[in-house]
Amino acid sequence: MSAMLSVERLTRRYGPGCDRCLASTGPAHGTNSCPHCGTVVACADVSFDVEDGEVLGIVGESGSGKSTVAACLAFDQPPTSGQAFLEGFDGDMLSADAAARRRLRNTRIGIVYQTPQQGLALDVTTGGNVGERLLAADWRHVGRIRARASDLLERTEIPIARIDEEPRAFSGGMRQRVQLAKALASRPSLLILDEPTTGLDVSVQARILDLIQGIQREAGVAMVVISHDLGVIRLLTERTLVMKLGRVVEEGLTDQVLEDPQDAYTQLLVNSAL
Amino acid sequence: MNVRTLLDTPVPEPGPAYNYAFLDEGTKREIRRAVLKAVAIPGHQVPFGSREMPLGRGWGTGGLQLSLSLLGEGECFKAIDQGADDSVNAVNMRRLVAAMTDAEPVTDTRAATLVQSRHRIPEERLRPDQTLVLQVPAPEPLSWIEPRYAQTQRMHAERDYSPMWLYLYESIARHGEIAVGANYPVIVDGHYLMSPTPIPRWDVPKLDRAPFLTLLGAGREKRIYAVPPHTSVVPLEFEDYRFQVERFAQPCARCGATDAYLDEVLDPRSGETVCFTCSDTAHCELRRTEAQR
Ligand SMILES: Nc1ncnc2c1ncn2[C@@H]1O[C@H](COP(=O)(O)OP(=O)(O)OP(=O)(O)O)[C@@H](O)[C@H]1O
Ligand SMILES: [Mg+2]
Ligand SMILES: [Zn+2]
Repeated sequence: MSAMLSVERLTRRYGPGCDRCLASTGPAHGTNSCPHCGTVVACADVSFDVEDGEVLGIVGESGSGKSTVAACLAFDQPPTSGQAFLEGFDGDMLSADAAARRRLRNTRIGIVYQTPQQGLALDVTTGGNVGERLLAADWRHVGRIRARASDLLERTEIPIARIDEEPRAFSGGMRQRVQLAKALASRPSLLILDEPTTGLDVSVQARILDLIQGIQREAGVAMVVISHDLGVIRLLTERTLVMKLGRVVEEGLTDQVLEDPQDAYTQLLVNSAL
Repeated sequence: MNVRTLLDTPVPEPGPAYNYAFLDEGTKREIRRAVLKAVAIPGHQVPFGSREMPLGRGWGTGGLQLSLSLLGEGECFKAIDQGADDSVNAVNMRRLVAAMTDAEPVTDTRAATLVQSRHRIPEERLRPDQTLVLQVPAPEPLSWIEPRYAQTQRMHAERDYSPMWLYLYESIARHGEIAVGANYPVIVDGHYLMSPTPIPRWDVPKLDRAPFLTLLGAGREKRIYAVPPHTSVVPLEFEDYRFQVERFAQPCARCGATDAYLDEVLDPRSGETVCFTCSDTAHCELRRTEAQR
């Protein structure tokens, strides 16, 4: 079985960069900032596969590079080096031309950002936010766009009567659910969830996690779930990567990683979560 | 040199104060080159070094520079402002062109070889031997949604027009219709999104596969673009929310036309509608004289 997504040695630096950036950063050096040139190595040599229908978790402390991986896969940030292959797309998607990347982004990859402001235009109606991806995929029938948006809003438990309201007026939990509806609009092959529940009340969190599980069962999409909440990772994912200072320090089945962590850092993470 | 000797120095004989057609030959050549490029890439905005003209920017300097760089001997020049030949702006434009070129000023659309217009396309169907020059206040249709130049350039290059579609969707969600009156966005030749200038929707279909050449000039924004003859010009529309031209409840009160774009005439005191009359005054005039015969 071939992977839905295959990421190879993804690296993203912020700064001028020098020959010694990679050799001077990472867990062994206790920093992600190059002592020679000051460049931040946000992520380096990150490789992983996600099978169709599989949910992969990425955990790690704040600043470990999780969102950077997501941003590169959603084409929000160009990688410094590395490749990514999406099933059905010929060649490395990260180096595809701009129009091809935009098409992939609009049709095959859905993302829910850490903050709703990143993923939603708060002054555009809820229906417009969800419908934007359909418009980008050349839907030209307002009635059908609204019908599809209504289905998705119903699925994500947003009252359909609010389809023409701006998400500006919505609570944080509702905004995250609108982001989910938007990400699902074009039936993506890959869904990236970057801290989908951070900053929400526990009861609101639980509803969103239920929703994500339900969507995963029905749609069977490949998912990458990013969180520093081990409870979320335990609940949603089968396999997990642990990141520290931009590098992957451990990976394996989620149960094993959380029950019997091999890496000292992961042990620390697991213990501090208890 | 003192003031006396200065005053006594003979003034040189006045030569021809201006070059033919006001602009110097280099400028005219540059504008024609921009026109050729614009014709080769329909709907694409071509930058040009817009010159200072003897009228204020925003008063049709782009259109005027196009006309002046094209008009030669044997040409007939018509200028209209919102359909009228006799508005101050159109009259001044005609006078300037008459003073500076060999072109003959005319008001009959049929007699013109070049029609320069602000905000209208004549009702008379233009022929292949005629050229339409439209004055452009704002050439970038994407400026409604994206103020950054680098971004609009990228969007045109990638044909990333979904934000414009979203704008139209939002208009429908909020107002129940596409609330765009004049300056309706169109796709030219299946590629570039183009602003047709603030012509009414009524005039937009006249551009689609038209037999004549349309040149559009923005003086302030320093852009020239073109719709060559027989080029498709398609307004953005949804399958269930179609582009529609304006409808008028009454015929023209002067000539009785039911197939022309009409202006509302208001009572200056009460502000109430008195009647509707043709916006294209030459066309209205022609119909009336034909009716008398
Ligand atoms: N645009 C940027 N310019 C410079 N440095 C950046 C930029 N974006 C991220 N970084 C740096 O890259 C590193 C990784 O950041 P990233 O946001 O990927 O971490 P994260 O694991 O998602 O953290 P969090 O859990 O707080 O969301 C951090 O050191 C961050 O400061
Ligand atoms: Mg993050
Ligand atoms: Zn360095």
